[in-house]
This record gives sequence, C-alpha cells and structure tokens, in this order.
Amino acid sequence: MGDLVSNLSLGFGVALTLQNLGLAFLGCLVGTLIGVLPGVGPIATIAMLLPITFGLDPTGALIMLAGIYYGAQYGGSTTAILVNIPGEATSVVTALDGHEMAKQGRAGVALGIAAIGSFFAGTVATLVIAALGAPLTSLALIFGPTEYFSLMVMGLVFAVVLARGSILKAVAMILVGVLLSTVGTDLETGEERMTFGLPFLSDGIDFAVLAMGIFGIAEIMRNLDHTETRDVVRQAIGRLLPNRDDFRQSYKPVLRGTFIGAALGILPGNGAVLGPFASYTLEKKLAKDSRRFGRGAIEGVAGPESANNAGAQTSFIPLLTLGIPPNAVMALMVGAMTIHGIIPGPQVMTKNPTLFWGMIASMWVGNLMLLVINLPMIGMWVRLLKVPYRLLFPAILMFCCIGIYSINSLPTDVMFIAFFGLVGYMLIKLGFEPAPMLLGFVLGRLMEENLRRALIISRGSLETFIERPVSAGLLAVAAILLVIALLPSIRKGRDEVFTE
Amino acid sequence: MKKVVLALTAVAGLAATGAQAQNYPTRPITMIVPFAAGGPTDVVARIVTDNMSRTLGQQIVIENVAGAGGTTGITRAAQSQPDGYTIMMGHMGTHGAAPALYPNLKYDPTKDFAPIGLAAGTPILIVAKKDFPANDLKGFLDYMKANAGKVNMAHAGVGSVSHSTGILFNSIINAKPTLVAYRGTGPALNDLMANTVDYMTDQIVNVAPQIQGGNIKAFAIATPERSPALPNVPTTKEAGLPDYQVSAWNAVFAPKGTPADIVKKLNGALVKALDDENTKKRLADLGGVIPTNAERTPESLQKLVESEVARWTPVLKAAGATAE
Amino acid sequence: MSSLHEGSGPPQRSGPVRAPQSLAGGVVLLALGALALWLTRDLDQGSLSSMGPAMLPRWLAVAVGLTGLALLVFAFTKDGETLERWNLRGPVFVIAGILAFAVTIRPFSFGTLSTPGLGLLFAGPLAILIGGYATPEVRLRDLVILALSLTPFCMILFGDLLNLPIPVFPQALTGLFPADWSQKAVLRATAAIMTAAAVLVFLATRGRRRGPIDVADHSGRI
Repeated sequence: MGDLVSNLSLGFGVALTLQNLGLAFLGCLVGTLIGVLPGVGPIATIAMLLPITFGLDPTGALIMLAGIYYGAQYGGSTTAILVNIPGEATSVVTALDGHEMAKQGRAGVALGIAAIGSFFAGTVATLVIAALGAPLTSLALIFGPTEYFSLMVMGLVFAVVLARGSILKAVAMILVGVLLSTVGTDLETGEERMTFGLPFLSDGIDFAVLAMGIFGIAEIMRNLDHTETRDVVRQAIGRLLPNRDDFRQSYKPVLRGTFIGAALGILPGNGAVLGPFASYTLEKKLAKDSRRFGRGAIEGVAGPESANNAGAQTSFIPLLTLGIPPNAVMALMVGAMTIHGIIPGPQVMTKNPTLFWGMIASMWVGNLMLLVINLPMIGMWVRLLKVPYRLLFPAILMFCCIGIYSINSLPTDVMFIAFFGLVGYMLIKLGFEPAPMLLGFVLGRLMEENLRRALIISRGSLETFIERPVSAGLLAVAAILLVIALLPSIRKGRDEVFTE
Repeated sequence: MKKVVLALTAVAGLAATGAQAQNYPTRPITMIVPFAAGGPTDVVARIVTDNMSRTLGQQIVIENVAGAGGTTGITRAAQSQPDGYTIMMGHMGTHGAAPALYPNLKYDPTKDFAPIGLAAGTPILIVAKKDFPANDLKGFLDYMKANAGKVNMAHAGVGSVSHSTGILFNSIINAKPTLVAYRGTGPALNDLMANTVDYMTDQIVNVAPQIQGGNIKAFAIATPERSPALPNVPTTKEAGLPDYQVSAWNAVFAPKGTPADIVKKLNGALVKALDDENTKKRLADLGGVIPTNAERTPESLQKLVESEVARWTPVLKAAGATAE
Repeated sequence: MSSLHEGSGPPQRSGPVRAPQSLAGGVVLLALGALALWLTRDLDQGSLSSMGPAMLPRWLAVAVGLTGLALLVFAFTKDGETLERWNLRGPVFVIAGILAFAVTIRPFSFGTLSTPGLGLLFAGPLAILIGGYATPEVRLRDLVILALSLTPFCMILFGDLLNLPIPVFPQALTGLFPADWSQKAVLRATAAIMTAAAVLVFLATRGRRRGPIDVADHSGRI
C-alpha cells in the first residue's frame, strides 16, 4: 500500500506540472474535436494526431496522447449519441439508446451521464492499474486461442440479446456480419476471399467504413424518407445535465459497467471490445422493464460507456507490464513510445519509473480533462441539433467523407461508405437491425482466426474447447445466456419465438 | 462552377511544367509510408525525415497509405509525378518479397523507382518460447529434427517480415513446422510468451524487450555482428548457421523519372541525416543498423533491391505463399 | 429497387404472401448466401486440423441461406410487416454527393478515364451541394453559404492547424498567388476569400427571402 501511494505521488508529481497539465488539456481538446467527426473513432484519431506529439519530450508526448485517446473516445460517443454514427465497435452500443435519448430531447443528459460515468470508470481503472497492474499480468497469458474463441462465441450470444425485434432476423444479421468479416486476404494462406479481385478489398472491409455506411449514411437516407422524423431532434432540447433521478437510475449500471469493462480490458487480443456489449446485456436483463432498452434507457448509456472507458484504461495493463499491445489503439501507443525511444516491455516500470507512473497518473488527469472540457461543451453539441436537418445532413455528409478519407487516404473508402449506406438503407427497409451485424463483424474476424489457430495447435481436435477449463467455462456461460435470451419468447408460444 | 474548375485545371497543367529542379524544394515534400502510423517503418521514416526536413528547408510530410502488405501505398507513390515532391519509404517486403507474394503487383521494384538511399536495417532474431527444450541454436536444430511435425512456428500474417524471414529460415534448416498465423507481431509474441507456440523470427525492435525481460529465448541474430542492445545473443554465424543472413531494411525511393539532381539532393539530405548524432542514436535505440557510407548510395540500393527480389522470389514461391 | 407494395398503412393482403417484408428479406439473404458460395467456389475448404480459407465462409453462407429460407417460410405462414415505400431522391443524391467527393479529392482513375485532383477546396463544396439536393426542401442559397463557410473551416483545421496530409487545393492554385508565398499562406488566403464570399452571399441575398435561421452562425461551430 505504501508503495502504491509513493508510486502514485511520483506519478502525479510528473503529471501535474503546469506544462503537462496543459498538454493533457490540449490533447483532450484536439482528441475530442477530431473524434467527434462522424465515423472517426479513437484509432483513426490517434493515428492522425500522432505526429503532433513528436516534437515533445517523451513524458509530455505520452501524456498528450493519453489526452487525445480519452478525448477521441468521448468524441466518438458524442457522435454516436447525436447523429447515430459509431466510430468504433464499442460505441455501437452507446448509439442504441443514446441516440434514442437524443431524439427525445435528452441528448444533454445522455452526453452528461456518458462523461460522468466515464470519469468514474476511469478513476477506478487508474487505481486498478496502479495497484494490480503487475499481478494481473499473468492473466493475459492464460488466454490462448482456445479461450479466445470461446470468449468470442460468448460475445456473439450478447449480440442476440442485443436485438430489439425479431430474433431470427438478428441471428441472420450476426451471420452476415461474420461472413463480411471473412472478406479479404486469408491470414493463414494469403489467398483472397470474396474480394471480386478488387485490390482495395484485399485487406478486408474496414470497420469504420462499414459502420459509417450502415449506420450513418443509411440513417441520413432514412431520415430523408420521413418528413415527420426529419429533424434529428424535434423535441425541445430539455435539460443539459443529468439530474438526481438520472443519477439514481444510473449509478448501479455505472458500477457494474466499470467492473465488467475493467475485467475484460485486462485480456489481451482486444477483450475490451466486449465490455460495453456485456454491460448492456446485463443491464437489459436486470431491468424491471427490458422493453425500455433501445427506446432511450439511460442505463443503456451509463453502463456501456463506463465499461468502455474502464476497458480502454485497463487494456493498458498488457502494454505497460508486458509490452504487448492488446488492440490497435495500444499498437499505436507502442509506435508513439518507440518514436520517443521507449520500447514498451517488462522493463519500463523499473527502468523508467517517472515515465511509467507519470503515464498512469496522466490517465486520470486525462479523464479529469475530459470532464472539464466536455461538460461545458455539451451545450454546444446539443445546440448543433437545432440546425435544420436540410443543412445538418449535407454537413454530416462532408465530414463523413473527410473523416473516412483521412484515415487511409483512399478515395475507394469514401465510395464504400456510399455503398454500405445503400446496403444499410435496404436493411432498414427490410426490417433488419444493423447493430448485431456490426458486432458479428467485429467478433467474426477474431473468432475465425482463433478457431483456426486453436485447431492448428490441437491438430484438429475439437475437444480442446472443452478440455481447457477457462474455455469450457466461457462456453457454458454462453449456452446459459442463450437459453435465458430465448426462454421468454419460447414460453410465450411457438409463434413468437422469433419476435421477442 | 464548371468554368472555374476548367480554368484551374488548365493553370495546373501550366504550373506543373514551369517550376522545376534548381530551386527544389519550394514546397513541402510528401513521403508515402505504406504502413500505418506507429509501425516500425513509420517510426524509421519519421526519425529520418525529421532531420532531412531541416537540411532541405522544407517540411517532409508523412502520408500513411496502408494496405496489402504495403503495396497499396508503394503503387500509389510509384504512379505519382516524378517531380521530387512525392517520395516513399520502401522496405524488405514492398521492394523484395512483394513480387513473389503478389502476382498482380502493379510495379516492378527493380525498374519503376529512382532509388535515393538505404535508411536503416533492422536485424532479425530467431526466438523461442521460454520452455523450449533447447538453449542454443544447435540444440534447437537437433530438436527440430527429432520432433518434426510437432513444432509450431508463429508469424504475423502472410507478407509480414516475420512470415518471409521465417519461411527463409525454415527453408535453410530444411524444417516444415506447422505455421500459426497472427494478425501482427503483438498477439504472436503474446502466445509465444504463454508457451502456446514454439518459435518465430522477427525484428529486433519487437522482440528485444521480451528477451531482456526473460519472457522468451533468443537463439541467434541474423546479422554479421552482435547487436549492442542484446550483446549476449550470438550471431547466426557464431551459432553455426552462417547462411541465415537477413535484415528488414528500410529505404527511401522516388518514382522513376525523378530528375538526377533532385535524387542527388535528397540522397545528400539522407546521408546527412544518417551522420547526425541524434538521428543515429534514435535509430540505434530501436536496434536499427545504420548503413555504411558505401551502402548509402542510390546505386547500392538498386543492387540491394535486385538481389533481394532474386533471393525472396524462389524461397516464397517454393513455400506456396502467394497473396494473389 | 422498387417495392412490391406501395404505401404503408394497414397490411393489405394479396395472395398467399402474408409478410412481404419477410419475403423480401428472405430472398436477399438467400441471394447473399448463394453469392458467398459462388465466390468461394475455388477456395480450399481444408480439414479441421488445418482449416482452409473457404471453410468458415462456406458454413456461414449456408447458415445465412437457411435463415433466409426460414424467413421465406414465415412470409407465407405468419402475418408481418408490409414493405415500406422506397424513396429514390434521398439515396441518389446522397450517394452522388459522396462519390463526387471521392473522385475529386485526389486524382482518381477508372480505366483510361481519370479525374484531376482538386482537393478539399472543391470536393467539400461538391459533396455539400450535390448531397444537399437529397431533400425536397433544398435551398441553394443556404447550401452555397454552408459550403463556403464549412470548407474553409475544414481547410484551416485539417490542413493548417493539424497538418494532416489531406489534399487541400489543386497545386496550380499556388500559381495564382505571389511566388514567395508558402503553401500555408496560400491556404489561409484561400480560406479567408471563401469565408468572405460566404458573408457576401449571405448579406447580398438576405432581403430576398426570409431565412428562418442564421446559417453562417450555426455552421461555423460544427
């Protein structure tokens, strides 16, 4: 305990200098501004903004990057809530109820609870990293391909629970999502799959492109269909910040979300992506009236957003203690660190204590900045919704184009958002929901890779999934969840099985 | 609106022919890095261009155009105006292994470029899981012979450095391990540390921290000399496998047809950057090997590309690795 | 893509189809499954110990097809939604706007045809002006002002402040400015001119029609 205090005070001594505070503030601000571009999630934002940190000293640069990261993440949630365009897999969940809240004039409340929940989760997660970072390291090594496959199967079951309407249609969408994730060069053999021979498909479909198309662009097309829902927000704007009732409804989801997110974030191989989905599933199952979910339930924003931020934070653990980046964002962090001559690995903590603890402290500072910058900005974001839709949507269109172009500098990416926009519009018209498809897409690639790896290593024996205890446990949880998800509709009688 | 567009495109045509060489550069230069920001090639590019920009008096802006093992970005760069304002950072994959891996490649590494110079070499190491029942390369080779069919080699995906160098290694030691593909070095290393897979080959910058931390074993480094970052790791020559010499090099290229004096100017800036103490130190921190004076010329880079293409093509084709 | 049933409202039954939406959905899923099977026809399925590239996609394609089949069956056995009316104007203009941006932001070639790279300066306004026509309530004046104010904002933010390598204007534009101006100076001057033009258009046309809202003010804040 004494160690923890002295380490943290060392860290805060670094993070709280005027210069570093300023950098954290600047990083958070710029991160928010770029991250709020429709479809531009944290990965793209960090990749874009990485160069501006190169001129700084290593500690300052990493502190600014932490700010950019949290800013980008919150910026992504802002876009998900305001215009229903998730920039990364985790804000897909936020979009579900967050955007519904915005439509009901409660955008400010949704943004506020997201910021406050994130701050709380961030604070807890910072302490977790500081106290348990080193001991938790070994957890990352328990998870091999077999365990990962089972974890992803569990994740896909969440996607079924996520569905609002027909379960059959949700299952179909998950399968389509997984199928889409297999497009591109095969990792094991290098052969191209389902690419129509098009070079820009050889790396597969980019998540940002798919999400922006089937959520964002399709949403614009759909809004243009209905005069009555044309304005993103017809209702009065309402309160800007959550009140006591909102807090009472959301503090438990925030606590649970923080716990789930922090636990999943420690896993390597992007376990953090499951956090928000798991949290949403849990809140929906715990709620007295689960029908409110998908119609603007505040718990559906508070829980997942906290889980998201907690996971974002604890996913630093494998990076800081092992030097292994668990996901794409962390891989970028490795790049940022190496550019400054710090090669992440097990030695950073002992060789570079000021940097290590300074960075951990700066995570908390980054979260604080997020609150400081974003609570006042909520008013401004919400006012954006007052712009008449006929002007708002062309602006969103242009920002989508710029955002997606600046990720890879590829015009074909821009064309693809148009294509997926049309696909998404068609899906809406046919009564399919895009969210399960996106989850299937995200988990599908991880699932296939790990399935193949596990089977290669076990030399083709499927028993490996049951023989290994962690994997067997996860599969059991998945099976139970599936039964719970299907049971209510089964009990109601055969005809309603497929319409929850 | 249309008239304005037409007028501007007309002016564009005029301006392109007008301004040229001797004042070069008069505006920022774009360097296309064919990988995502933060990767090893990107890091080398940023370190080197930082100093080059100062020498040239104009900013070198890095544009990351990732995709298809780097060939998307290089294809674009190869097709851009050869006016010295678009250059690129190529590497072992894009200018050596790519012709074998991508039969539909839209450029020829040996013909479509004006080489500027070699920027840095990154040594390759042979590493294995901590529990591997051998402690040196000789023991490793014996184990491979005795346990053929039981050993797994990890790699970071077809077309990656660890994949190509691993295939080369296997062909030299005549082993056929089961290949396990990962998306990137990080997850592959993770499973290596967890003792899930047996061995892999990869760039020093990726594996050095884990070797120093005692999480994985290093058998040999595939360079003529030991690396100051890992003084205890023997070279492949010392360990008894002198044929395995390989490095993931990075080099600056311009599109074919770039005027000779511009190439000279760029090469001069690159050479100056490589002599700069700070740049040297930053590259060395990554385990990078600074090219010797003889290796820095455009001519020697052209030779390097030719020999690399000649070396990788048969090895990769024999392994049946194509990403067509 | 026009509809089987025009108009919504109470489901109107014609023939044995009881849920036209499910019918269409089923057909789409079946087609998708078939397409995936066809695309993976040449790929190796492998075995469990070394799965080939085709194994998973093929299983998935079959599963997608099966869900499609189930939907088809339900379309005849269970009452469901009718198809909503399809609107062409929205999608067509939205897609055209995006495509216009894609082909003008940098040189793009389809076969022998290629477009000049005009940069954000033209691509941005094109996306706004073309995309803006997706709604029947379009007002050209407002779109022009929007384009003229948002584009310089993005140019300054991305090109100047953040130094992103997004093409801002055609290289030739530099020729219109004094030779010793740097790229940044040209960028700032262009942005200033556009903003001024936006203000001019706004002031010059203010009296003609009562715009219900203050466009320039809102747009600048995005």
